[in-house]
Amino acid sequence: MKKRARLVAAAMTLAALYPQPAAAQEHTAVKAGFALPANSGKTILVFRPAVRVGAQSTGGLFEPNGDWTDRARANLEAALAARQAALGNIVLAAPVAFGDDARLVEEYQALFGALSRAVIGYQFFRGNRLPTKKRENKAGVFDWSLGSGVSALPGAKDADYALFIYDKDAYGSTGRKILQIFAALGPGIPVKSGEHAGYAGLVDLRSGDVVWLNADLAMGGDVRTPEGAQKRIGQLLEDFPGSTAAPAAPAASTK
Amino acid sequence: MPVLAPVLAAATTPAPPPPPYTGAYQPQGVDEIGLWKEMDEDERVLANSPVLIRDEALNAYVRGVLCATVGADRCKAARLYILRTPLFNANMAPNGTMRVFSGLLLRVRSEAELGAVLGHEFGHFEQRHSLAAFKAHRAGTDVLSWGAVLAGMLPYAQGAYSLRNMQISIYGRLSRFSRDQERDADLHGIGYLNGSALRPQAASVVWQNVMTEAERSAAARGQAHPRFDRIPFFASHPADAERAATMAALARPDAATRDDGAARYAAALAPWLPLFLDDQIKLNDFGASDYLIGMLGEHGATAPLWVARGDLYRARGYPRDLVSAAEFYANAIALDPNLPEAQRGLGLSLFKTGRRAEGAEALRRYLQLKPAAPDAAMIGMLVATAGQGQ
Repeated sequence: MKKRARLVAAAMTLAALYPQPAAAQEHTAVKAGFALPANSGKTILVFRPAVRVGAQSTGGLFEPNGDWTDRARANLEAALAARQAALGNIVLAAPVAFGDDARLVEEYQALFGALSRAVIGYQFFRGNRLPTKKRENKAGVFDWSLGSGVSALPGAKDADYALFIYDKDAYGSTGRKILQIFAALGPGIPVKSGEHAGYAGLVDLRSGDVVWLNADLAMGGDVRTPEGAQKRIGQLLEDFPGSTAAPAAPAASTK
Repeated sequence: MPVLAPVLAAATTPAPPPPPYTGAYQPQGVDEIGLWKEMDEDERVLANSPVLIRDEALNAYVRGVLCATVGADRCKAARLYILRTPLFNANMAPNGTMRVFSGLLLRVRSEAELGAVLGHEFGHFEQRHSLAAFKAHRAGTDVLSWGAVLAGMLPYAQGAYSLRNMQISIYGRLSRFSRDQERDADLHGIGYLNGSALRPQAASVVWQNVMTEAERSAAARGQAHPRFDRIPFFASHPADAERAATMAALARPDAATRDDGAARYAAALAPWLPLFLDDQIKLNDFGASDYLIGMLGEHGATAPLWVARGDLYRARGYPRDLVSAAEFYANAIALDPNLPEAQRGLGLSLFKTGRRAEGAEALRRYLQLKPAAPDAAMIGMLVATAGQGQ
């Protein structure tokens, strides 16, 4: 056990020291040939973000926290509007839908979730690529679509793109942090404290093609505070089309 | 059955009436508010789910049975969702969303039996079992993660051995905690039934039928006879035999003559039986499906039941099954000559047994009865080729 623990510790130290290439785990992609120039004045329809915020118990269970979730949702929505305004895009909240419309939105939200997980699993994660995606990756192809049915989504007529956002945060509880320290100092077992995962995707509302996707399973920014939410939205919308072309954007996002 | 003895000894008096109702309840504390928030988000998804059965009449009926069981005041706390899922289950979330699976509706025979299951779920809700289970689970995993860290500091064999013992002890305790919650919910469920106008003895029948179904299912697969009197170490629920016996003991003896609402239940479910049976047959569980069809037809088989039995045999598809299936469809047609599904099944069975001309005749009648059927084009092709070849 001691030998194994030392090995683990050695491996961790090595991992920290070894200069890893920046693209060890890709987490963002843009459809080939897609460009969204800054200040193009496009309308982006935002569907209700899936937000879950809570704590992580000592044993690693997710402990949902209603208050944090409410605050995070409000903070993220405000930060998103500010960020997109800085990019010169108009952000439109998707209209409240009823009946069949609401069912359609729900189905596309679920489809987008499944698609994002497929992209993370089979295109972004190198060791697990599907044969077709290996070939596509080498050629720099990012080719995923929700299908042209998206044009029937409520509000799609008045917008150019749809933005889907998912965010899950679990903050390590005090117990978890103490365990983490003890586990590292004692037997040298690595214990992860906290989970901060999110993905965001931009979908063309005419064709249904996913034109940009960003998925990050370890993000920063405390979404429970307005400043943290701004940082988080900055990371969620990292490499958002048009953001690199606009040097004013990062400065504007802090206002 | 030494395990059952103490339970049965304790349960010889009828279940007590439920505690006084506390009215609209708001979640208390971080954990409970958090759980409710999660459930509220789930409900958003659920309300727009494609598996939901939105038929107003069926929803109102099932809701009526819940209200008749738990009483009008408690009933207001529940929001009912019927899911098209062919499994024997129902649940109730901490925020008051009750999910009823279509497989449950197919399996219970009366309002009292349905009320027994819904009352059980309401018992979980009223006792706030989910919250207690969450807390117990958290406490258990907290201890275990400290155990893992401390075990890592001990010499290898000793540490691993102690940790494994501790894991078994904690997981076993959590399973027992869950079984005790189920017993508590059973007690509440039958308490509601005792106080209602429905016959509480029906609760025991539910579990007897579950056992018979499991026996038939195992027999048709050639498996060993299932045991219902033992509690596996990690079981989340008590053994079925124990539940049947406890329910029988907890029911008020003087209520045995009450109406169980079987006729009303059969009438309300009649329009849904073909769909629910179709879902059940697709589970590929011949023994259980055969038993359920037989149960539904115990007072005389109807045309839809003959069609279901025909579908079941045709799906298994041994040559002898196809002959039997054709016979079952013919029985259905004798009762109702205008049932399109019977003509379709008959035609397809006859085709497969080589009687193509007769088969084509039945399929033609199917297309006449249901010209807009989704498979009309495919069946039409079969009819057109029937005269060729041979």
